[in-house]
Amino acid sequence: MHNWKKLGRVFNPQEIRNVEWMREFAQAPSVLIFDRFIRVYFSCRPLPEKNGQYVSYSGFVELNRSNLFEIIRVSEKPILKLGDVGTFDEFGTYPVSVIRRGDEVIGYYGGWTRCESVPFNVAIGVAVSHDNGETFSKLGSGPILSYCVDEPFVISGPKIRWFNDRWHLFYIAGRKWILADGKPEPVYKIRMASSSDGFNWERHGKDIIDSKVEENEAQASPDVFFDNGKYHMFFSYRYSSNYRGKEKGYRIGYAYSHDLNHWVRDDTRAGIDVSEEGWDSEMISYPHVFELDGDIYMFYLGNQVGRFGFGAARLEGKLT
Amino acid sequence: MKWVKLGKIFDPTKHELPNDCHEFAQSPQALVFDDFVRIYFSTRKRDPVNQKFLSHIAFVDMDNHFRNIINISTGTVIELGGLGCFDEHGIFPMNVVRVKEKIYGYTCGWNRRVSVSVDTSIGLAVSEDNGLTFRKIGDGPILTSSLHEPFLVGDPFVSVINDAFHMWYIYGTKWMTRPGAEAPPDRVYKIAHAVSYDNRTWIRDGRQLIGDKLHPDECQALPAVVHHNGRYHMYFCYREAFDFRKNSKRGYRIGYAYSDDLSNWVRDDDHAGIDVSEEGWDSEMQCYPHVFRCGDKIYLLYNGNQFGRFGFGLAVLEESGNP
Repeated sequence: MHNWKKLGRVFNPQEIRNVEWMREFAQAPSVLIFDRFIRVYFSCRPLPEKNGQYVSYSGFVELNRSNLFEIIRVSEKPILKLGDVGTFDEFGTYPVSVIRRGDEVIGYYGGWTRCESVPFNVAIGVAVSHDNGETFSKLGSGPILSYCVDEPFVISGPKIRWFNDRWHLFYIAGRKWILADGKPEPVYKIRMASSSDGFNWERHGKDIIDSKVEENEAQASPDVFFDNGKYHMFFSYRYSSNYRGKEKGYRIGYAYSHDLNHWVRDDTRAGIDVSEEGWDSEMISYPHVFELDGDIYMFYLGNQVGRFGFGAARLEGKLT
Repeated sequence: MKWVKLGKIFDPTKHELPNDCHEFAQSPQALVFDDFVRIYFSTRKRDPVNQKFLSHIAFVDMDNHFRNIINISTGTVIELGGLGCFDEHGIFPMNVVRVKEKIYGYTCGWNRRVSVSVDTSIGLAVSEDNGLTFRKIGDGPILTSSLHEPFLVGDPFVSVINDAFHMWYIYGTKWMTRPGAEAPPDRVYKIAHAVSYDNRTWIRDGRQLIGDKLHPDECQALPAVVHHNGRYHMYFCYREAFDFRKNSKRGYRIGYAYSDDLSNWVRDDDHAGIDVSEEGWDSEMQCYPHVFRCGDKIYLLYNGNQFGRFGFGLAVLEESGNP
């Protein structure tokens, strides 16, 4: 079992004042490392609209590299604009996963639209930054990974990785919408695709992680880190309904693979769970694992899926 | 090309239709058998939830002179999609193609949005019973939004040429609100082309295939292609982006383009060879053309006024005056 030592909450968006587009939530942390600081991209929201619905933006916070609890800077504006009327990302850009590529930074993100019979649909877009990740411009007004025959909707949660001279995109694909107390709730599973150029993707076409708590378990945020000869995936999962509270809400799961094709799920080795009390006592989700100056860290979300920000844990020992 | 109009051949209001559908017989598309022709079309029911329309596919079988109705579908030809699926709120149209022993249905599935009325994607279904019913190959689409075709991918027309599947289809370029109008956004879409060698993976040309005649906001829809006298002929319909429903001058007309190589198309509406009538069922609008061979003739099925609310008609190609 891995041993994650919780370090506490790193960033709480509700402590940021007078930023309309960043009133609450700091979801899906994704790290880009600089010489003197680390930049953590995340997705946040203004207050809800009159109908109770949200839009989501993405921004970042910069942390002192030698003290992750020292905030140096918060982005002044969103890194991405919302899409034009009728486009796939008109109502949200969440989450974002960034990676360096030569002098550029590439960002893959979930774009949100609103539907009539179900509340939303999601497809994956791509954007590029030529200013070290300060701002991004979209490569097109449509998505780079959209719905297909066996992934009919909710293509989201992208995590971009570069392994073995190839691009790999871990993401989730909707399987079905179920009705829970008359309200549509999406069921989604973890999938992956590979690419030689980052733009033309070959989908593997299968769920790569077994379901555990129930057939309609929803799996999200597949974050993959290579260490000690293995690919380690930390992800989150929840029950299909009544998941907004502690009992059936998000937890962090774990799987490993030697070849990126065959994955063995073994949540008993995740090594992190909800706390007895505090900001992450009801649920934990959206893990992101990265290495910094010889240590391995996990950023993750706490209660209400990051409504009150994200925190950090440091690995004691190795990823095995 | 010159077409001789044979008049309206099917009026949906004069028949009982499956799926509680009344009115509308849109985008007629033919599947030719030895001794009859099955014509698929989209008809509509009211969604009991909100009274909006739901499009369903039905068909009518006619003798191969198109004089007599032999049969009308009584059951569901293809199910609409489940909750949240791309074809949950309608299938319109369906292009039916016989490839060797198989019969494929390429669908345009509709699902409703909030900020705009709808999005569409293209699906694939297979029939194992000579086209009476179709089973989808999956819940999702085979062709949908992409980086430079951001929405409203629809209106497929497929033809197998030299072992390659060619698909002509449309994609949206923008949603826009008429200046000063309170109306919801209207859409602009263009004709495109993709090719596949396995009927699964489609390679898009990635460009607008047919030039605009009116202006950049012209809407182009429902391409159909036939090979004749050594040349590929495309029929489609086009209209203004605004005020096109009731204003006859801005409504759908039939356009025409030709190509010798399937790559370069020359738009040549002056030689479409068909236009709205002085009066009658197709006097205000002509849309959703479908060209096909039957026997030794080439026919054109199409809709008239009010987008086919009261049915579709037929024209036959008059051979040129060659001796």
